[in-house]
This record gives sequence, C-alpha cells and structure tokens, in this order.
Amino acid sequence: MQQATHNGSQFETPVVETLVHDDKVHASLYTDPHIFEQELEKIFYRVWVFVGHESEIPQPGDYVTRQIGRQPVLMVRDKAAAVSVFLNRCAHRGTMVCPADSGNARAFTCPYHGWTYNLSGRLTGVPYPGAYGPDFNKADYGLSRVARCDSYRGFVFASLSLHGPSLAEHLGSASQIIDRACNLSPEGELDLRAGWIKHRYQSNWKMIPENDTDGYHLGFVHSAILKAAGSHYQRFVGDEGSNKGIVRDWGNGHTEIEWALGYQKPFEWFGAAPDKYAAYLSALEHRCGKAEAQRRVFEGPPHALIFPNLFLAEMNIALFYPLSAEESIQWHTPMFLKGAPELNARLLRQSEAAMGPASFLLPEDITIASRNQAGLYARQPEWLELSRGQHREHRDEQGRIVAHVTDEVTNRAFWKHYRAVMSR
Amino acid sequence: MLSDTDYRAVEAFLYKEARLADEACYAEWEALWEDDATYWVPAQPRGDTDPRCQMSHIYDNRSRIATRIKLLQSGFRYSQEPASVMRRLISNIEVEKTDAGECIVGSNFLLLELSVQARHELRQWGGRTIHKLRWVNGELKMFWKQVLLVNAAEPLPNLTFLI
Repeated sequence: MQQATHNGSQFETPVVETLVHDDKVHASLYTDPHIFEQELEKIFYRVWVFVGHESEIPQPGDYVTRQIGRQPVLMVRDKAAAVSVFLNRCAHRGTMVCPADSGNARAFTCPYHGWTYNLSGRLTGVPYPGAYGPDFNKADYGLSRVARCDSYRGFVFASLSLHGPSLAEHLGSASQIIDRACNLSPEGELDLRAGWIKHRYQSNWKMIPENDTDGYHLGFVHSAILKAAGSHYQRFVGDEGSNKGIVRDWGNGHTEIEWALGYQKPFEWFGAAPDKYAAYLSALEHRCGKAEAQRRVFEGPPHALIFPNLFLAEMNIALFYPLSAEESIQWHTPMFLKGAPELNARLLRQSEAAMGPASFLLPEDITIASRNQAGLYARQPEWLELSRGQHREHRDEQGRIVAHVTDEVTNRAFWKHYRAVMSR
Repeated sequence: MLSDTDYRAVEAFLYKEARLADEACYAEWEALWEDDATYWVPAQPRGDTDPRCQMSHIYDNRSRIATRIKLLQSGFRYSQEPASVMRRLISNIEVEKTDAGECIVGSNFLLLELSVQARHELRQWGGRTIHKLRWVNGELKMFWKQVLLVNAAEPLPNLTFLI
C-alpha cells in the first residue's frame, strides 16, 4: 500500500481511502494539491452538484452562469420553460459564450466568430457556412449539456457523469430537508432572487461543509455576537447538559444540526414574536391546516448540508466552490418564501447580519478556517481527531445516526461518504 | 454655494473619519453618526440597487451600527482581532449643498489593508463614497454613508473593519 506523506504527497496519486478513518482524518486531505485534483474528478465532475434554483430564472431566456469545479456552466430557461444546464463553451474554439453573471437572452452568440446557439443549446447560425464541407452538420455542434440534470422542488442539480445514482437516490431521505425549507412558504415555494453575496475562504473547501454543520464551535468562534447582541443560538451554548440540540447523519454525506428540540416557542429561529407575522401564519394555516402550520413555525428551517456543495443555512441558501487545495468561495442568498412579503423584508436584513464578508457570524468562521489551514502545515500530529461523541451515537426512528449537538457525528458522516465516493 | 470655510470643514471631516476607521478608534468613529443613520455597502458597484429587495454587504441603521461596534470592541471578533493595519487615501471630492445645514459629499478612496488575523496579506480596496453630512451645534455629523466598492459583486475576503 502506498503511504501518503504530509503536505503534498511524494506520489502522484495518494490512496485517499487510507487517509480517512472512522474517527480521524489525515491532514494532507486539506493540503495536498494532488488530492484536490482527484476531488474535482471524483466528486465535482461525477456526483450530483447543486447548480442553482429555478426561481432565479423565472422567464424564458433568463439565465445564470455558475461553475462546477473549474468548469463554467450556464443554467437557462428555454422557450418551453424547461431548465437546462450547458457547459459554457463554444463548440468551435472553446470561447465562453456567456460572460455575464445573469441576464435574459434570445440566443447566445459567441463573440469570436459569431456562432449562435438558441436557448435549447442548438447551433442555429454559423457565419460564412460555405467553407464547411458537406458533412458538416450543425446538429453535431450544439452547446454541450451536462450529462445529467434534475431538480427537486426548484433546486437544480447537475452531474457530469452519465453513470451513478439518480438525484432521488443521491438525496435519499434527505429530500425531507428541502421539503422542510419549502414547506415554510405559504405557497410551498422558495424565491431566491435577492442576489448572491460571495465570500472568499483561504481554506480547503471541505472545511466549509464540516464547519457548517459543526455544533461544537458555536460558543467559541461566535462568542462576540453571543456576548454583544444575543441570538437564538444562545440556547445551544454553555452547559452541555441543558443544550437540547442534536446532530444528524442522513446518509450519503448529508448532515444536519437540529435546533428545534431546544426551541421553546414558535418563531424562535426568526428572533421574532409570532404576532408580528400574523398574516404569514394565517396564509400558512390556510395551506396546511392550523396544527401543521404551528408545527412548522415552531421547528423552523433546516440547518443542513446536502453533499457536496449545498448548505440550507436556516433562512439562507448557500453554495460553495473549491478553487484550489487552500482556497474556496461560499455564496449565500436569503431564502425568501413565496407568499410571505413581510417576513422576507426582515429576512433580508437578517441575512446580511448572518453570512457574508461584512456579517456578524461567517467572518469569524472564515478567520478560524484560515488559521486551520495554516496550522495544518505543522507536521505533528499527522491526524485530525474526529471521535467526539462516538460512544453516545444512536439511531432514531428513521434509522438516522444522531447524537448531542456538540458531537462530531456530522464530520464523520461527511468523511464516510467522501471515502466512499473517492474510492469509486 | 458652499463657502471655502465650509468646504474645508467637509474635507477635514472626511479625513478625520478615514483616520478613525484606519486606526480602529471605534467609539470615536461611532460618535460621528446621527441617530437617523444609514450605513450602506451595496453588493453591486453602482448605487442603483434597491436595498429593500436586494442583498447588500452592509445596510445598517443606527442600532445595527452600535452592534457592529460592540462586536469589534468585544475582543472576540476574530476577523478583526488583532485589527487590520490600514491607511486610506481620499480624493476627487465633490460637495453639493442641499437645504440649510446639510450637504452631500462624493469622494473616491483607495485603501490598503494588511490583514493580520490569520495569514498576513496586503489587500487593496477602492471605490466611491457618498456621505450625507449635517451641521449640529457647529460640528459636522454624518447620517448617511454609502460605499460603492469597485469589486462589490466579486468574492470578497472579510470586510469587518470599518469601510
């Protein structure tokens, strides 16, 4: 068996499986550029990756540009209202056909030689076509579609591999996480059109999903906001015994912190008195009945990670991009609920306070992540310890592994799936 | 028309505000604000976004400015602990006097930030600032500050110092 070395392997292809144990992971997983390249191939270019949300492109011709790993992609709604994801590359000489972040187009024309594609990706125009021979068929030169594209309740995912589990199989029972978010809307739908805030991490991308569902760091990394302003997270710090939150492993690398068990009244997750949102509550009751609406506004939104790059961050939706072994980007936008305008107005300001470069929470996570990344270059100890709470894990009625909110169930769940995907 | 004396006072206010921000003089900087404050850093480089339905990096009223300052003073705002070392240059000042006792001031800035909280990295920030100022008991105070960052829509590193 090959033995990996720390801080960049002496071998071209480190055997990643040997670096992930049930209770510890090797530091080189965060620092080795060869491993990063393998992750692009085996994770980002193969498994289902979150691309965007259908509400971002409501009209025919609306598009947004994104990336899958290093590959630029274009998510567009065509004239028949179908959503497609294309690789953003002209079939002629490789030019990115669409440079803008978002917009509306009738067609995509490559600026280099004028090749034109319609909204369904078909090549419709080639200037001076006489120079191509009789065998040249425009049907062979459309924009490349991602191998597979599917959506769940408006969340659009793509896979660059024809093979592998379907989106439904990949999500598994974790589709309930997305349901929980959507079901807060009186119309059952989300509206992600307030714009994305983009935040640069000087750390390996895996620190983002690990930290996003780490319930142990809250009282330490975020003590400034807890001391200065207070928040609904106050119930989840301090005395270990009175902290009622739990963490969950949904399988397939999907992980969650469940705060609801610690809430004591409805809307606690929103930091608001229920009577302020009477119109919203009555609209929700109209949709699903009083008892169910009360349950939903008590439990609030999910705080969960869909492997590998979608974070349902309570009332925010976040996605992240790997740039290199030690650089990443996280985007976030407020999770507006269709049919709840007064709630969305408050949410906008909360979202600015929670996440993003000038906010009150994420900058601290990012600073600590940078220090993590720097610290990992110290060669001893070689391993990162992930055993916290292993002895008190149990399975709930749905078969999900759960434990105390400060336990590392979520880290272990992430790495278990990571090892499985990287070994394929 | 603004008198020369008033123009000098406006200019001095901008320099002082910049110095207090650069030197992390949080309480003194906060004291420059009026109660009807708006501190706005849009997420787009132009000032035409609607903060009521579009995300901003910062859209603080007076009470949120106070929270921002309390965090910085807490000793646990790790993204500014220790505070970045900063110097900013201000130029291209244009002043427009509105009604009695108020004026709108546009100026460009270039800011060098040495981030020292994790890895040491020299960062450049630049853009245009719109201040709205008023004379209160013979002193200038600000009630509006909008910062149009050149790279507002790009992935940004932490922006938790006073911009």
